[in-house]
Amino acid sequence: MIVTRSWLNEFIDLTKVSNEKLYETFNSIGLEVDSITQIEIASKVVIGKIISCEKHPDADKLNVCQIDVGSGKRQIVCGAANVVDAEYVAVATIGAVLPGDFVIKHAKLRGVESEGMVCASSELGLPDTGKGIMILDESIGELVVGRELSSYEKIADTIIELELTANRGDCLSIYGVARDLSAALDIEMKPFEYKQEEKIKLGIAREAELRHSGEMDADLHYKLATIENISSNFLVQLRLAMVGVEAEGKLASMLAYATHTTGVILRAYDSRTFRNSENKISVHPVAKMKGVIEVLGNEKVLSVVGVNQEAEATANDETKELLIEASYINPDTLVEAVSVTSLKTDDLYYKTSRGANPDLYFGLSFLASMMDSDTDISCYEGSLNVSVEREHETVIVDAKEIASIIGMDVEIGKIVTILQKLGFEINSMGHDVIAAVVPLFRHDIKHIQDISEEIVRIIGINNIEAKPFVFAEKPRLNDTTDRYRAKKEFKNRAVGVSFYENVSYVFSERALLDKYGFSTVDEALELANPIAEELNTLRSTILVNLLNAVKRNVSYSKKSIPLFEMGAVFGSKREQNEVISFVFSGQVEGENVRNAGKPKMIDFASFTQKVGAVIGAFELVPCTYNNGLIHPYQSANIIVDGKVCGFISKLHPTVQESFGIPETFIAELDFDAFLPTHINATPISKFQGVYKDLSVVIDKSLNYYEVAKVLNALELSMLKDAYPVDIYEDDKLGDKKSLTVRFFIQSMEKTLEDSDIETVMGQIMMALKTECKAELR
Amino acid sequence: MENLEEKIVQADSLETLEKVRVELFGKKGVLAAEFAKMKDVPGPEKKAFAEGLNKSKASLQASFDARYEVLKSEEIEKVLKSEAIDVSLYGTLAQKGALHPVMETMDKIIDYFVALNFAVESGPMVEDDFHNFEALNLPKYHPARDMQDTFYFKDGGLLRTHTSPVQIRTMMETKPPIRMIAPGTVFRRDYDLTHTPMFHQVEGLVVDDKGKVSFANLKSILIDFLQYMFGDVEVRFRPSFFPFTEPSAEVDISCIFCEGEGCRVCSHTGWLEVLGCGIVDPNVFKAVGYEDVSGYAFGLGVERFAMLMHKIPDLRSLFEGDIRLLEQFR
Repeated sequence: MIVTRSWLNEFIDLTKVSNEKLYETFNSIGLEVDSITQIEIASKVVIGKIISCEKHPDADKLNVCQIDVGSGKRQIVCGAANVVDAEYVAVATIGAVLPGDFVIKHAKLRGVESEGMVCASSELGLPDTGKGIMILDESIGELVVGRELSSYEKIADTIIELELTANRGDCLSIYGVARDLSAALDIEMKPFEYKQEEKIKLGIAREAELRHSGEMDADLHYKLATIENISSNFLVQLRLAMVGVEAEGKLASMLAYATHTTGVILRAYDSRTFRNSENKISVHPVAKMKGVIEVLGNEKVLSVVGVNQEAEATANDETKELLIEASYINPDTLVEAVSVTSLKTDDLYYKTSRGANPDLYFGLSFLASMMDSDTDISCYEGSLNVSVEREHETVIVDAKEIASIIGMDVEIGKIVTILQKLGFEINSMGHDVIAAVVPLFRHDIKHIQDISEEIVRIIGINNIEAKPFVFAEKPRLNDTTDRYRAKKEFKNRAVGVSFYENVSYVFSERALLDKYGFSTVDEALELANPIAEELNTLRSTILVNLLNAVKRNVSYSKKSIPLFEMGAVFGSKREQNEVISFVFSGQVEGENVRNAGKPKMIDFASFTQKVGAVIGAFELVPCTYNNGLIHPYQSANIIVDGKVCGFISKLHPTVQESFGIPETFIAELDFDAFLPTHINATPISKFQGVYKDLSVVIDKSLNYYEVAKVLNALELSMLKDAYPVDIYEDDKLGDKKSLTVRFFIQSMEKTLEDSDIETVMGQIMMALKTECKAELR
Repeated sequence: MENLEEKIVQADSLETLEKVRVELFGKKGVLAAEFAKMKDVPGPEKKAFAEGLNKSKASLQASFDARYEVLKSEEIEKVLKSEAIDVSLYGTLAQKGALHPVMETMDKIIDYFVALNFAVESGPMVEDDFHNFEALNLPKYHPARDMQDTFYFKDGGLLRTHTSPVQIRTMMETKPPIRMIAPGTVFRRDYDLTHTPMFHQVEGLVVDDKGKVSFANLKSILIDFLQYMFGDVEVRFRPSFFPFTEPSAEVDISCIFCEGEGCRVCSHTGWLEVLGCGIVDPNVFKAVGYEDVSGYAFGLGVERFAMLMHKIPDLRSLFEGDIRLLEQFR
């Protein structure tokens, strides 16, 4: 909503209010100021009166004007075609400096002397009021030849753009904004009084009739007028340009101006196009459904109330007989109906959907007063009306309740004053209690907290003293808090082993997930309105996003790219799970003197070590996951506490190639699987233990995992630990390999004797022989 | 004897000194030989001879010890010197990564409220119309729904447009009093220079008996919170509109870039909008079946906080895993 200072001034006296105060007040009452522009008109631009205007002897498109500029007569050559229609104009005299540092100097145009310039609006830094020079009239104030244009407050105006919240339809008019200001600044509104000049003594009923059918949820008032000649004043053009309202033609401008001023929705029809066979204007509003009211003229649709208007019967500057309509429709029912029916809406819908001004009489009177003063339009007496009985909302307001909501006492007298200024009707209900009748234009106000909001914004939130909340102690640690802390811990560990935290959209590209063999959300549960093809589904893995980030970093010349992300992924039924995913691409560490600037590339062992530093102890077993990112021979299931919780793998070389990235390793783990669990300590032996190595020859294809299974199955109480320390292969061994395992043997009860150790090692060897076909090396 | 003293002082290494020691103090050394002469010294002179000899021995011992100290420390110094390296070569070896600035900002916000005894709550990203809109006083066709362009699923589900549905879920699952925050990921169907389809919010809610929670309480905590986050800033409240709160306000801080003078970041207003808040609308309490309660709620965008706090110029860069940005937060 755009307003101007002088326009507001027609309803509220702002002469003693500075622009700074206005800015501050608007912001503090919830009408956020988007921009505030003071129009500065250069000095030495004055009102001039054209005495004569003749064609330039040597140029078709130029006119030579003799203009009285107060201090004397000037000869000025003017190129604008419309100068021939002008009497009063804005003249930039010699020495004036116009925007763009354009200095007006004495000039000769095609041999004719010119002492100044007749100005168009844009040449003075005003909004564009249309083609040609500005033709001034008394609408801007008394025209005094020679008076500086900058002294006209309606021209050197302040334009204020307000950002209105969705509930404030009542401020979509100059009048509405003025009313809010009146409450905030405690300045009385200027009364608007209108007495119709009855040019036609005939009543409207002689020419027109109104009947309605269906259940009406709209008020409609009609007036009839005849037009001899329509003109439009300069101020209307200027102000519409200032507030950015476009209207084609003089009549449309007038209607737009009246609507912007009063907030009442006004439309005009050429009633000759729908006079019926009896030559009567028959208007017939029909309620099609709740919220949709068609206005028929001689059974042809003229408009849908609050929604749109048919072009055919719309009045224009050629129209001779005018049916003017003011309307109000309940925005709640209207908005619902429009959503359901998807009716085409016009510019006025923004106002009607947020609640236009229901004071139709005011709107029509304002328009009539414009017509009286500016045009040869004659209105018929009276109007035809459809009015709906609307119940006014009444809110019981207890000053104590207001105080407890705001946290500060506000006197009931103050409450009453504020509400009255805002258009509420107040009835006393006893000590400190009132009944506030809500005006129709504030359809957003329904209960005591809405009233509190009005009080709060008028007294100013910044005037409320902040008070800490006092509450009863109660522990509030819960699972979510614990989980949040665990997450933070894991993240910090990842950072400690060089990973950067990544955040990416939880979206992915369905085709890409399909291609790499990840699950996708069931078609029937899929996103209905994705924002882009590459974000058209919920992700089922974070890895694809991470690989895209790797690719970007490669293009930024990064050589070592360790990233992790913790976040949501979704299953085919759209179930949400939390995973932690790692990628490591390129060099295993930075280039430095230790590695002579040639660090190794990341490998399975280094990557596993880093992931382990984050998630803690785990086991690796051959991979059972199946997706296109996994390398079939360098991949594993990660097992924590006996449960598979994810996979770790080298990135499949074809994927690596298609992303155009160096050697890369990936891991994705279910976060819930390694949330910290409770641990009980086991007793530690007081006796010395021994380390023993055993080298065996086994099949090349046999994984250590199979060996470990055999060792675990033995359940030897003295075998405390076993781990592989060497693998050896050569031609002599053929399809066999040598594996060295280190054992730690210790007893809880005694110091070990050689025979004890031999027994344990013997059992181990025996088991490996039978289960793994192992031979001593 | 003079000669011996000279030998000690002349020794230029621990090895030479050791040889001198053996020559002097050894079993077959000079001193031992001198003491052996004792038995040939006549009785009356014995005492004087012994005294003289002991004196010489003590003097030699002192010289030896002093020399040993000197040579020993020279030797250590030599070892130390031989181990010298250019430590400044290794300043670039650190391998730390970094937390994402948005997540770190979120952590800081959470830490503040947890310290004030707020519970952390969470909820699903895929929501339904009731929790995301209806219960928050945003009935169907409400114009305020336009403010939140929504991602819908084919079955009518939607991606939550704010963290407010967590309030609804928490209120329906527990009983007042409630003091909670809901940090989380939210979605709006909007993608340009200043909007991403996904971002993060932290929502706060306090509910207690009717008449207990006031706007003044809300002001108190938010002023303190914003000063904790942004340092010594001025805090300004402007009335605004949210369907789920009444009265509602938007909260600004004085611009941290120009200190209120007016600059490009604050659009020359001197103020930065950072928060929305208000007193919980009675319709919200009605939707969750609460009676005779009062409460306040607030919500903020974590990306905006992170960008302002760390002067990060480009919103979209936050979602690209750009190490050039991330490594600045090591």
